[in-house]
Amino acid sequence: MVMASRARLIAIVALCVMTASMHAAFASTRIVVVATTSDVASLASAVGGDVIEVKTIVPPGTDPEAFEPRVSDLSTLSDADLIVRVGLGYDLWIDKLIIQLHRPEFQAGGGRLVDASIGVPLLEARGRTPVTEDGHAHGLGNPHYWLDPANAETVTATIAERIIRLMPAARDTIVANRNRFLATLHERIVAWMQRLAPYRGASLVAYHNSWPYFARRFHLNLVGFIETKEGVAPSVAHLSSLIAEMGQNGVRAILQEAYEPKNFSEMLSARTGAPLVVLAPTVGSVPEARDYLSLMDFNVGALARTLATGSH
Amino acid sequence: MLVLSHARLRRAATDPAAAMSHDIIMLLAAPFAASALFVAIHTNFGLHVLRRGIVFADLALAQMSALGATVAYAAGHAPTSAAGIAYTFLFAAIGAALLTASRVMPKEVQPEAYIGIIYVVATATTIVVVDRSPQGAEHVKQILVGSILAVSASDLPKFAVLYAFIGAIHWLARRPLLAVSEAVHSKTRRSLLWDFVFYSSFSVVVTSSVATAGVLLVFCFLIIPAIIGSLFTRRITYALGIGWLGGVAASAVGLAASFEFELPTGAAMALAFTLMLVIGAVLRGLIFAPAGGRRICIRIFLRAASAMIFMTVLLSAIWLMIMPRADQPMFDLLQSATGIGPATFLAVQDRAVYADALKDAGYRRSQESQLTALEQQSRWQGGGLSDTEVRRIGSFQQTFNEMARGDDFVVKSLSGRARERERWYVGLPLLITSLLGLLTLLPDKWRADPARSRTACLTFLRAFLHVADFVRRLGGEKTESAGDAMIRRSINGGTVSAGPKALTGRCQKTTYGCPDP
Repeated sequence: MVMASRARLIAIVALCVMTASMHAAFASTRIVVVATTSDVASLASAVGGDVIEVKTIVPPGTDPEAFEPRVSDLSTLSDADLIVRVGLGYDLWIDKLIIQLHRPEFQAGGGRLVDASIGVPLLEARGRTPVTEDGHAHGLGNPHYWLDPANAETVTATIAERIIRLMPAARDTIVANRNRFLATLHERIVAWMQRLAPYRGASLVAYHNSWPYFARRFHLNLVGFIETKEGVAPSVAHLSSLIAEMGQNGVRAILQEAYEPKNFSEMLSARTGAPLVVLAPTVGSVPEARDYLSLMDFNVGALARTLATGSH
Repeated sequence: MLVLSHARLRRAATDPAAAMSHDIIMLLAAPFAASALFVAIHTNFGLHVLRRGIVFADLALAQMSALGATVAYAAGHAPTSAAGIAYTFLFAAIGAALLTASRVMPKEVQPEAYIGIIYVVATATTIVVVDRSPQGAEHVKQILVGSILAVSASDLPKFAVLYAFIGAIHWLARRPLLAVSEAVHSKTRRSLLWDFVFYSSFSVVVTSSVATAGVLLVFCFLIIPAIIGSLFTRRITYALGIGWLGGVAASAVGLAASFEFELPTGAAMALAFTLMLVIGAVLRGLIFAPAGGRRICIRIFLRAASAMIFMTVLLSAIWLMIMPRADQPMFDLLQSATGIGPATFLAVQDRAVYADALKDAGYRRSQESQLTALEQQSRWQGGGLSDTEVRRIGSFQQTFNEMARGDDFVVKSLSGRARERERWYVGLPLLITSLLGLLTLLPDKWRADPARSRTACLTFLRAFLHVADFVRRLGGEKTESAGDAMIRRSINGGTVSAGPKALTGRCQKTTYGCPDP
C-alpha cells in the first residue's frame, strides 16, 4: 500500500518535471529578435509569428536618426538571439552597443546580425561611407527604403532566411507566415496604387528627404525639401527659392513627419496655399500606424485625402 | 533692403526675379518687426539684469519654462493648448520664485552659482521627463532653439499686446523696480514683492521670446542693446532709446547678412549684435574723449588696430612657414579674395595634375547629378525604371562619387604642396613686411634707441628658430608624407586619372549613361 502510494508520488513528481522541462523546451524554441526600429520589428514579426519574440530598441514616435541609446537598451540586446538593423547608416548607434556586448556572433559576418537593406535597390546612392560630408546618415544611399511597400518583400526574405538558419525546424511555419504576409501585401499594393493613381506626377515638398522610395512606388514628384541640413534652420535664401520652386511646379502638398518642427512647413503652407499633410515615417509614429501594413494604409490614405481636397 | 518701391511690387507679379525679391522681403518683414519688439522689451530687462549682475538668469527661466512645456506634453497636453500654456507659466513662475529666493541665500552662495544650479536642475529634470515622452523631445528642442525666421505676421499682435502690458507695468512701477535692482549690491533692505514682480514679468517675456527666437538670440536681445545703452548714459530712459536703436540696426544687418551670405539667421543676428557692440564701444571712445584729446584717441585707436592687423599677419606668416600643410585661415581668405589659387605656386607638372583633378572632380559630380536627375524624373514620368536599372544607376552614382572624392584628395594634397612652396614666396615677404610695420608702431623711445630695437629683433628671430626647430623635431624624420606617397603612386600608376576617363568615355553610349556590367 505504502509502496503503491510512493510509486504514485514518484510518478506525479516525474510528470511535473517532464511538463516543466517540456514547457522550458517550448519556451527555448522561441528565439528573441531585437530590431533597431519598429518598422523592421513589424516585418520580423510578420515573418516569425509565434516562433519569435520581437523587441524594439527605438521607442515609437522617436526620430531614429536622432536616437541616443540608453543603458537599458544594452540589457535588451544581451537577451537577443538575432539583431535586425535598418542599415545604410540609419542606425549607426547599434554598432557601439554591439561592441559593448563582447559577442563576436553579433558583429558583421557573425551570422546573428541582419542588415535588412541587403538586396534593396537603393535610391540616391552616394558613396561607400554611411555618413555624408554634412554629418547626416544618407551617405550610402537614402535609408528610408521600407516606405516602398514592394521592398518589404526583399526585407522579409532576408529576415526569414536568417531565422530559418537559426531554427531549421521552424522552416515551414516561417515560409507559410511570409507567404501569407506577401499575399496580403500584394493585394494592398494594388489597392494603394489605385488610390493614388489619380495623383500621378503630383508635385510635393517634404520637410526631410524621407520619401523618395514612397514617391517612386506611387509616381509622385518630390521637388524640394525644407530642411537642408539636419537640425539647422533653413536660410532665407533657401526658403525664398523653395517658395519660387513651389509656385513654378504647382506643389500640391507639404509632407511633414509627426516629430518634425512644424513652424517652417506652416509658414510655407500659409504662403503658397499647399496644404500640410502629416505622414507616418515609422510604425508607431501615429496611433493609426500599428504595424507595417497599417503604416502604409495610413500614409496612402492621408496623402490621397489631402490631394483630393487640395486647391489645385 | 526692407523698403520696397511700388514699381518693384507691381513688377513682382510678372518678373520671376522680382517675384523672388518680393518673397524675400515678405519672409524678412515679420522677423524684423518681431526683432524690433523683442529688442524693445528685452533692453528694459537687460538694463535691470546688468544692474543686478545676473546675466544668465534668462537661461534658467527659459529652461524652467521648457520643463513646464515638457511636463504638459508628458501629461498629454499640446504645448499650445490652454493647459500647456498654464503648465509653462506655472513652471516659469516657480523659476521666478526660486530666483527671488536668491536674496535670502547666505552671501557665500554667489547669485550666478545659484542661477547655474537652477538651470542644471531644470535641464536634468527636463531630460528625465522627455525620456518618458519621446515626442516631447522635439518640442523642447523647438523651445530652446526657436527660429526667428518662422515668425508670421499673425504672431506680431500677440507679442505687441503682451509686451505693451508688461511695459506698462514696468513704466508704472519704474521707481520701486529700479530701486530694487540698484539696491542688489548695497546693504539696504529691499522688498521681496518687487523682486518677485520683476522675475515673474521677466519669466513671461523670456518664455514667449525663447520659444520664438531661441536661447542664443534672446540672450543677445537682452544683454547687448542694454550694454550699448549703458556705454553712453546712466539714465535708464536714454539708455533704453540708444539700446533699442542699436538693437534694431543690428537686427536689420543680421537679417540682411543671413540672406546675402546664406547664413543661419539666429547665428548671423548674434554676430551682427556683437559687431554693433564693437561699433558702440568705438563711438563711445570718440565721443567721451577729453576735450582736445579726440585726435589722440583716434591715433591710439588706429595704432592699436594696425598693430592687431600686423600681428595677425606676422603670426599667420610664422604659422605658414612652420606648418605649411596645416589649416591656414588667413591664406585661405587671401586666396579666395585675390583668386590666386594653389596652381600658381606649383611646379609645372604638378600644375597640370592639379588642373586635371579639379576638372575631373567637377565632371564626375556632374555625371552623378545627371544620373540622380534621371532617376528622380523616372519616378513619376514614363514607365519608370526596373529594380535592376535602379541598382545599376546606384552603383554608378557610388562609383562617380568615390572617384570625385579621389580627385578631391589629389587636389588637397597638391594644395598642401603649393603651400610648402608658398611659404617662401609669400610667407617670407609677409613676415618681413609685418615685422617692419610693427617696428614703425613701436613707442618713440624704443625707436630712438636702435640697440634696443636690434636686441628685440634678435630675440624674436631666435625664438622663431627655436619654435621652428621644435616643430620639425615633433614631425620626426619623415621625408615624404603618406599623402605625398599616395599622390605620387596615383600619378605614376595612373590609377586616379586613367580609370574614370575610360569609364566615363563608355558611359555616354548607353541609355542611362552607364555601361552594361
